[in-house]
Amino acid sequence: MATDWNAMSDDDFRAAFRDLVERRLPAELRFMRKQRPLFDEVAVWYHALNEEGWLSPVWSVEYGGMGLNPAKHMIYVEEWGRLGCPRIPDHGLGLIGPLLLAFGTEEQKAYYLPKILSGEHVWCQGYSEPNSGSDLASLRTAAVRDGDHFVVNGQKIWTTLAHCANWIFALVRTSRDEKVRQKGITVLLIDMTTPGVKVRPIANLRGETDFCEVFFDNVRVPVENLVGEVDQGWNVAKSVLGHERIFLGAPTRPEIAMERLDKLARARGAFDDPAFRSRYAKHRLDLYDLGSAFERFAKVLREGGELGADVSLLKIFTTELYQRITEEMLLLAGEDARYFDDIEAGNGEVDAMNLFLDSRAPAIFGGSNEIQKNILAKAVLGLPS
Amino acid sequence: MPQTIFDDPDGTLSMLRDSAATLASRRPGPASLRAKRAGSADIDRDLWTSMAEAGWLGLLLPEDLGGAGLGLAEQAVLSEALGRALIAEPVGAGAVFASTLLRDAPASAERDRLAAGLASGELLVSPAWQDPSRHSHGAALKAMVDGDGFILTGDRHFVDGATSASDFLVVVDAGREALVVSVPAGRSGISVSEKAGVDGSAIGRVAFERCSVGANRVVARGPSIEALVENAVTNARIAIAAELAGIASKAVEMTIAYTKDRVQFGRPIASFQAVQHRLVEMWSDAEFACASVVNAVVKQSEGDDKAAHLAVLAAKARCGDAATSICRRAVHLHGAMGFTDEHDIGLYLKRAIALSATLGQPEAMRLEFVELEHAA
Ligand SMILES: Cc1cc2nc3c(=O)[nH]c(=O)nc-3n(C[C@H](O)[C@H](O)[C@H](O)COP(=O)(O)OP(=O)(O)OC[C@H]3O[C@@H](n4cnc5c(N)ncnc54)[C@H](O)[C@@H]3O)c2cc1C
Repeated sequence: MATDWNAMSDDDFRAAFRDLVERRLPAELRFMRKQRPLFDEVAVWYHALNEEGWLSPVWSVEYGGMGLNPAKHMIYVEEWGRLGCPRIPDHGLGLIGPLLLAFGTEEQKAYYLPKILSGEHVWCQGYSEPNSGSDLASLRTAAVRDGDHFVVNGQKIWTTLAHCANWIFALVRTSRDEKVRQKGITVLLIDMTTPGVKVRPIANLRGETDFCEVFFDNVRVPVENLVGEVDQGWNVAKSVLGHERIFLGAPTRPEIAMERLDKLARARGAFDDPAFRSRYAKHRLDLYDLGSAFERFAKVLREGGELGADVSLLKIFTTELYQRITEEMLLLAGEDARYFDDIEAGNGEVDAMNLFLDSRAPAIFGGSNEIQKNILAKAVLGLPS
Repeated sequence: MPQTIFDDPDGTLSMLRDSAATLASRRPGPASLRAKRAGSADIDRDLWTSMAEAGWLGLLLPEDLGGAGLGLAEQAVLSEALGRALIAEPVGAGAVFASTLLRDAPASAERDRLAAGLASGELLVSPAWQDPSRHSHGAALKAMVDGDGFILTGDRHFVDGATSASDFLVVVDAGREALVVSVPAGRSGISVSEKAGVDGSAIGRVAFERCSVGANRVVARGPSIEALVENAVTNARIAIAAELAGIASKAVEMTIAYTKDRVQFGRPIASFQAVQHRLVEMWSDAEFACASVVNAVVKQSEGDDKAAHLAVLAAKARCGDAATSICRRAVHLHGAMGFTDEHDIGLYLKRAIALSATLGQPEAMRLEFVELEHAA
């Protein structure tokens, strides 16, 4: 008998999650410094979650998910962060699963979903291209029909974790002569072990290789790997996120940074400095008020409503706050801000530079903050072009 | 585009700019930085030697000490050019600090030996004058009298070029008086450890354990030392501010070029007003940085000590903030490309952070400025 998680009280649900973490998450994987561990580095946790039936919070119970409603899902995400669970490769769970649940055929669901849960398939997301970042609809990686196959040629870039994935969920161009560029884009599921797929990892500012280039050279993809209809992939891709868009605006990153700032400030006696206290108070209340704004949208979801374009304001605020707090850490670090390595803070160390450098990214990915503002200006404020 | 503007009646400054650009084209700074980082090195020895040959390390030393006998305007222009080219060697905190101190120290055989060696590149004289901060594990350095020499025990942090050093230039409290002594790097009782710096250079920590120094190594002693160190810090700050101004200006230029070239939505992203306004703000910040450096240099020769000191504090603060914030915005405007290690713009950001944190970060400089200005 599957547990009805949604019927549980919030407190019981939290307790159940904590219990699971205490039993199954190895201590060395908690509060990991690495933002994007590879699959193998966190496989123990991934498999444990699956065995316990906690791996996939939002998929329906029928397909092995927990079927959490948005309210419970938010608790799940909150506890995950609070208890220091490591990020797991989550494109399969967060993107492909929901995509297939909404648009996939029964065969596709039956084939792919169990393999995501078992970890046999590790997915990555192939949207961006060298010349198509903010302007994603200009993408050019081409898929041409040849009998039972599409032949794919082109290149993706910034593909997170492509070097540890064996499947890629790619947006490809199947038609060029549409007036609206958003048409003519198709979603393909591509086995990365197919001949002609090549991956090159790219090092980031933190010196880690989280993202990659992925090259396609006459890659033959069976037509049954198409999701939805040919040329209609844009709408498929757009609609996947749904309520999960709220998580782009979640306070998780600034919360982590605030915790580190606290530790550093205590170790260095910074709370005795009125100038620091004043700045700290500003950050603290920004974070506090982000909670209130987040709640305003969370409430909509809890009450069964749908998010509007206005939810983007959370993403802008949280990513900028993350940057301000990590900048504050460098200020507090004083001359220690010269170090790349973690810096001394009492009995431990704080990864001030690591977080500062990391904070550069979220303002860029997931639709850069300028693109979010363009959307808000048009869709919410109704400003003229 | 932003740059420091000084009077240049005989063309020395523009010659310096040109020769710095020539060296940078022969030995690109980013490549050197990457190689240094990959090898966990503290300096790029070849580059250091080339700079010595060009006369840049002893720029501020008089000619009779082996230097070029030039002034702060020349140093600022050179450091600005090094910043632009991302030649990330410890010129400010290392060579400028040491050469200023040696220039001002009383004449002695040891002083002359160090000055000549520093200028020619035969010696690598690394200042080791900063005690561990109170937040880090380490003990302040002390000197005990031992016959007519001294015995040193304790730690020194933020030593640039610590592993490559031939001699450490140590400022130390010896109880009754302060001292500047030189300690050969190979001397027993010295151990060097390193931490990775964000700008790719290893930063040294030097531990002295009953390390003995003879009287012949004393460069200066007594009450004059405070002024010696203060001067050295002032010149190093001016050089670092200028380097930051160079980084800031170059980062603005790189970002303008990138956004003019990068097409999204069928147009260069630099055509979007949101991007244009950001670029204008960045440019303006870099102009202010350059102006603050010129002001700091000019004020040093006007004979008003307080005004001179204020100007240096202002420049170090202005240039630190300008360079780091310009580079942060520059990274953002490069999109995901800016978040890679492969693109140089991230290296500019890291170098800006490191220099801004060296010898006084902006907020500390501003607070000191206000305090000094209000002092009677
Ligand atoms: C860490 C990281 C992980 C990523 N992971 C993935 C992944 O797994 N899969 C994937 O497909 N992609 C991924 N991306 C790519 C990401 O989606 C793109 O970086 C993003 O869409 C921006 O595109 P771009 O980098 O090409 O920047 P550009 O579009 O070139 O933008 C450059 C700058 O111009 C600004 N700009 C652009 N257009 C406008 C405008 N109209 N008005 C004002 N300003 C504008 C932008 O805000 C930005 O500052 C990742 C990126 C990062 C940094």
